[in-house]
Amino acid sequence: MTEAAAFAAWLGAAVIVLSDGRRGLALGLAVTTLAFAVLAWVVGRDALAAAAVLLGGGAAVILRLRAGADVWGVMPPGSTPRLVLSIAGGLLALWISTTLMTDPGAQLRFAALSVVGLMGARALTATESGAVLTALAALALAVAVAAGMADTGPGPAPFVVAALIAAGVSAIRIIEPNGA
Amino acid sequence: MEPELAIGLPAAGSVCVAALRARPRAAIAAGALLGLVGLAVIAVSVPGRPSSQLGVTLSLSTESRSLLIAAAVALALVVALAPFLVERATLLMWGLAGLAGMAVIAAATSIEMIIMAVLALAVMQAASAGRRSFATRIRGPVLAVALLALAAAAARSEGPSILSRLAAVGLVAGLSAALGTLPYIHQFDPDERTATSPIPWMAFLGPVLALAVLTRARDLIPSEGGAVGAMVIGLGLLNMVWGSVASWRTENGAAAWHYSFMADWGLALCGFGLAIADGERAALLVLYGMLLSRLPLYLWSRQSLREKRPNDRPINLLAAAMLAGSAPFAGFAARVLLLRAATQLYWPLAMVIGLGLLLWLPPSLRLGRSLGLPRGRQAWGVGIALAINLVIGLYPQPFLSLAGL
Amino acid sequence: MPSIALLAPVALPLTAGGLTAALGLAGLRPGRALVGAGAWGAVAALFVLWLPVRSSQELNLGPLGFGAGFDLRLDGVAFAFGLVILVPAAILLTLQPRSWQEGTVAALGAGAAILAVESGGVLLTALAGGTAATLAVIQLDIEDIRAPRPPWGVMLAAWLALSWAGAILQVVGGTEVYAAVPVSALTVPVFSLLAVAALMASGLFPWRGWAAQLWRRPSLRAAGMAVATLYPLGFYLLVRAYEMGDGRYPQPVLGVVLAWLGVLVALGVALRAQAAATRREYLGEVIPGLGGFALMAIALGTAVGLVAGLVMLATVGVLAACLPLLPDRAGPASLLTLAAGAGLAPGLAFGARVVGLEATFEAGDFLGLIGIAGAAAWVLSMVAAARAIGLPAGRGRPASETFPRVAMALAGLILVAGPALPLILAVFAIPAQTDVMPAPAGSLGGGLVSVVTVQAELPALTLFAPLLLLAVIAYGIAGTSGIRSQARPPLFPIPGAAAFGRLRVAVRSATVPDQYRSIVNVRALEKAAAGGRPLLWLAGLVALAFAVNR
Repeated sequence: MTEAAAFAAWLGAAVIVLSDGRRGLALGLAVTTLAFAVLAWVVGRDALAAAAVLLGGGAAVILRLRAGADVWGVMPPGSTPRLVLSIAGGLLALWISTTLMTDPGAQLRFAALSVVGLMGARALTATESGAVLTALAALALAVAVAAGMADTGPGPAPFVVAALIAAGVSAIRIIEPNGA
Repeated sequence: MEPELAIGLPAAGSVCVAALRARPRAAIAAGALLGLVGLAVIAVSVPGRPSSQLGVTLSLSTESRSLLIAAAVALALVVALAPFLVERATLLMWGLAGLAGMAVIAAATSIEMIIMAVLALAVMQAASAGRRSFATRIRGPVLAVALLALAAAAARSEGPSILSRLAAVGLVAGLSAALGTLPYIHQFDPDERTATSPIPWMAFLGPVLALAVLTRARDLIPSEGGAVGAMVIGLGLLNMVWGSVASWRTENGAAAWHYSFMADWGLALCGFGLAIADGERAALLVLYGMLLSRLPLYLWSRQSLREKRPNDRPINLLAAAMLAGSAPFAGFAARVLLLRAATQLYWPLAMVIGLGLLLWLPPSLRLGRSLGLPRGRQAWGVGIALAINLVIGLYPQPFLSLAGL
Repeated sequence: MPSIALLAPVALPLTAGGLTAALGLAGLRPGRALVGAGAWGAVAALFVLWLPVRSSQELNLGPLGFGAGFDLRLDGVAFAFGLVILVPAAILLTLQPRSWQEGTVAALGAGAAILAVESGGVLLTALAGGTAATLAVIQLDIEDIRAPRPPWGVMLAAWLALSWAGAILQVVGGTEVYAAVPVSALTVPVFSLLAVAALMASGLFPWRGWAAQLWRRPSLRAAGMAVATLYPLGFYLLVRAYEMGDGRYPQPVLGVVLAWLGVLVALGVALRAQAAATRREYLGEVIPGLGGFALMAIALGTAVGLVAGLVMLATVGVLAACLPLLPDRAGPASLLTLAAGAGLAPGLAFGARVVGLEATFEAGDFLGLIGIAGAAAWVLSMVAAARAIGLPAGRGRPASETFPRVAMALAGLILVAGPALPLILAVFAIPAQTDVMPAPAGSLGGGLVSVVTVQAELPALTLFAPLLLLAVIAYGIAGTSGIRSQARPPLFPIPGAAAFGRLRVAVRSATVPDQYRSIVNVRALEKAAAGGRPLLWLAGLVALAFAVNR
């Protein structure tokens, strides 16, 4: 189950990377949120953390669906580099979390590393604010999940904070200069 | 309870100012009151005593506390003596929000909380109306967040030594990306409001953030202290040279100030990288100078820069001397400490740093002139900033003691 | 006297400066009396503190926080240099009119300079000297921002270099306090750093240093103060280095190199002086010329040389007050000043130079060659002085800042003080020398009549007093009526000056060739670095990772 959740986290992140429309972005965020909630519950054994992720991520998904172009916008023309990035990023994260890092908990590591990496890349390269904000929401959740890699459990606090950030970020409406 | 109050009071102040914006005087009064109480709480807090009132363990270190106090004083100075054209309520709102964020960063005991605080601050700043696009403004901090998160993950995992070295790279690069120093310079628009420009990252949030990240780096990757130090010193030297030369040669006056902050960060990074007490003292003095003098002077130079009214009055020359780190200002004491620290570690480094220090003068003369002829509140402000810097330069011991050094 | 009184020579000028600023800001006109009183008060405090005890007094007020303690020490060296700095500063501050801003900065500068010589350690000297330099530059810029002034960068470099020397002393020897530095800590590199700082601080170069360039300014108010407060500080460091090295420099060759440099400075000055186009230009070279001789004498490493150098610096101090008060016109004041500055017998400058040259021969070996070279430089400078008597006056200055009678009196004092050389040595120079350099018994003495060294005796009083009388008679007969001011060609062209000038022009006009402009496009580089491009950031990350993992 944790393997599937880790794969889903990457998949959700890949969908966010590949999407421009609000439906696609919301779908990606929803998949990632679900995956993180499962990981927090199963690996972290912290129901409160899982609930926080689910609530925060869920709120972020709903808020994302309320703004932006009402299309899926998955893999629009010219998105080959993004596809390559998603796959290569996933493979790199897989290699690092399973081969380079030797301690137990590869699923959690893969999920966290792949989402952090892909969301970072998405936020750096995107120009449309909806995509950036979605990436930031997923990034916040991924940072909290990464905290679970600590020897001493981080407790629910990072998850609650991340959930608040994810929801808050998605609630923001950006007014671009010169109408951009 | 003190760390929570140190975070909550400025945050509440910022919210109050935002809520009362229609009535600026009430907004300023409420914000100032909450901010001052927050400052008092920070000042009387016991460093190192953990508190978990909110379910998160928070603890202010002595050094962080001293920088928070300096930042709060700087905010009070720039708000109280803001130029007439600047909306003080807006300045106070952003400043208190930043102060609250800094308090979180300073008090957080885990790197993830620091990262999330950076993310939240970045989004808040980038979401406000500015001249650059949201995506452009968020880029630097997001890179910082991603790199710091990856570094923390790498540091916590078992594996070959390359992992911890990569963690070191991530932490240092992440810090640099958050600050906006070379090679991760945030795009700068000279005509943008200061609150939404990259300046707050460098000159307001940066000092506390750098201290927090480097302190956590020591805990996360204790075996890579040398690598972290070498990278920080390398980036420091790079920023010293680039910042001072670019500040001197760049066409735009506001951009010159931006680069001058970078040059100062070069010094501070060298100090932190040396990882001995004198180096930290030097870095701290540079950061005090940045918060209490360079940042206010930058804000007060904006109007003169727009009106293109450079001046060569005594006050401009004194400001130039202060910015250049000439004796008896704080920069000189910092430079002495830095040279001492570098000599203890590796004397050729002291020589390189010493030669680099001479690059400050030409840009500082330019920046000093760019202040124009300060009048009224601005003149008082410039005078106070110079006086504070002079006191720190002549007798830094109390300020270092405040930071436990 | 309580030790806290050691603060008085520093605090009095600073307080005067602070009060002047306060009054000025309040819209009042504080005038020159306040800063003058502050400076004279400091002079008086020095006398009151030093004369009754005539031995070292110390005050320790704890650490300042940057590695230095607030340690003050008044010994023979501090007293001598304090007078060299404060007396001319006090004269100038009392007489010359200044705006309150200029007065404030000048008084603060004097206070900083006296702190530099009164401080007990290298780092506090560096801080105070750096402050004096900063204030001098600001004062010069307040007066006239377009006029020549010492390069700020060089000044900063000098005091940073001294700071570094202090830091190394702390790291290697555990302390930077002059009296406590272990001899072994003053290594050749540390001393070299200190010497470079000293040379830069005082502008002691064979080419035209800042002390000479200042005399090209339209007004000499700030220039006089800058020379009075800054010029002696470099020498002070070289004298203190003897204390740290237990009476010697780490290697004898270092002293030889510095002594040769001193001769070269004096020679360079003499060469430029004989080619001066105006009397003002010539007068600008007087103090650097004496400085060159002082450097030569001090660096010899003998007690005789050191006291000769100190007396030359005392002469520099008096001239630093005299020259800015001298109007740009011919007359008795100019004539006396030229005679005093050039070292005409039987003036103090003459006596000090004689003792200094004698010290080179007494030092033995090939140091005598230095003396011969010094004598040649002196002869040339005397010829230059004689030529300068008839040169056009110069650009002229506001009458309000010139005081010909005071200038004449000061120049006369230098000439009259020649016969009193043994007394000046005994009261002023020898106490300073004994503080830093233990001298063998009988190597220097002579009482109040003559100067006795190991190999020679200079009967200063009995020889110089009749000479002085003869000089007065000669002046009375000749007067100044026969002097005709006119443009005069140089005695000979300065060797290599034209080639050096061409080289300088070539370097200044050098530009990047057109075909390479696109490669070294600084603007494009700035744009690329500051453009916030993720690809560049990625490259930076890769570079860092590579650097750490290679």
